[in-house]
Amino acid sequence: MEVVDSVMALLFVADEPVPTELLARTLNIGDGQVDQAIEILQARLAEGGPLQVVQLAGGWQLCTRPEFAEPVAAFLKPQRQRLGRSLMEVLAIVAYRQPITMAEVDAARGVQSDYSLRQLLERRLLQEVGRRSTPGRPVLYGTTQQFLHQFNINDIADLPKLSAELTDLVGVEALAAGAPVAEGEEDVEVEDSGAKPTEPDESETEPTSPEAERTPVVAE
Amino acid sequence: MAARTEAQDTGLTVVAGLGLVAPPPIHIQAPTFEGSLATLLKCVRDNKVQLLDVPLLPVCEAYFDYLVQTNLADLDEAAAALLALAFLLERKAWALLPNEQPEPEPEAPLELPEPTIHEYAPAIECLRTWHDERAKRFFRSPDASPEPYELPFTLAKVKVEDLAMALERVLRRAVPATVEQLNKPRRSLSEQMRIVLVALGKEFKPLEDAIPSPYTREDAVYWFLALLELIRLAQVNIRVTETEVAFARAH
Repeated sequence: MEVVDSVMALLFVADEPVPTELLARTLNIGDGQVDQAIEILQARLAEGGPLQVVQLAGGWQLCTRPEFAEPVAAFLKPQRQRLGRSLMEVLAIVAYRQPITMAEVDAARGVQSDYSLRQLLERRLLQEVGRRSTPGRPVLYGTTQQFLHQFNINDIADLPKLSAELTDLVGVEALAAGAPVAEGEEDVEVEDSGAKPTEPDESETEPTSPEAERTPVVAE
Repeated sequence: MAARTEAQDTGLTVVAGLGLVAPPPIHIQAPTFEGSLATLLKCVRDNKVQLLDVPLLPVCEAYFDYLVQTNLADLDEAAAALLALAFLLERKAWALLPNEQPEPEPEAPLELPEPTIHEYAPAIECLRTWHDERAKRFFRSPDASPEPYELPFTLAKVKVEDLAMALERVLRRAVPATVEQLNKPRRSLSEQMRIVLVALGKEFKPLEDAIPSPYTREDAVYWFLALLELIRLAQVNIRVTETEVAFARAH
């Protein structure tokens, strides 16, 4: 049985991104062989057909090509709307500065963000990742595999780069190296959430309740 | 304007610091500085730019352009811009005036969020684009796998009313709950199911006999929910007689 076909079969039945290591372990082959098989599979699928193999959220997954989005959407009828401005702002701040507390998100935006944060938690785009060892032990938030999946990102280090000046400020380089970036990062207690990649929720909608985020945060 | 306090001993006006609201992305183009208002503030704060060399007229013009263009859609942002502008004007005035007194230092350092929310805008736009691209791809849904809530189970001759009667009896014996503690940990239904399985045993017995007394109404509801789940999973058998409803472990 050809390795490429086996990899395709596994990706076909998987309902979430499959990491290279898992494919290799399942097929009892090396990671390099899996990478090779994926390359061949991608080339084979590129020759024709409605499917493609994409790398996102730390694994490989079969999906339909964008050219077929219209008929598939007509069939599945997904409820899809864009995230609102406030949700995107909170999401971006958490993504770049995770692990981060709610107070830090508030300070970065200048308005209270608890409503947006709650919305993003409910949508499984953010999650609690631990508590900071400071007075009050505030909860720290980070992004989820769902966030990576929904925004077509393979790894958190692949986030769009901020400008060079800002890169220094938020430590994207540290992000790329896999290190958490936050003030007092050495004091962070991070829990292993065990989050698994999940199918993105296509029913994202704008918050319907009034946005209660107009209270400016004023410095002392 | 920056908040001020009167220092009692010296009588000097002390700048107590600016608000945390970041100024809007007003672009300033002057012979000696080009960039956003927030960047100018940071540079002045960090002494990277000599304010005496920066004409403030283009800054004020940029602010007025911003007011005209945005039509005051966001008063918070407009106020933040005015605050930043006032700070710059005051700093420059202190630098220009032949004043013997030293310039008052801000009580708290000029704390602007870094990066400001406006500086995330390009990244947010990029994320939106990626999100839209991703939305054109469709993946196998996890719902395609067998639905666990459709596992076959049968209640035989047991009616819903019988189960309701069992719950009613349990609730009748419940004691009032004590004061609810703050930060109460969440209860796990799967853990409760394990407890119920252990408590039931092979012999049929009413639910109220399986629950250790005393118990609250909340405890009773948790026990009943766990019991329902176990019935659904065919882990618990039910025996209904004229007088009672009894439960026992299936295996």
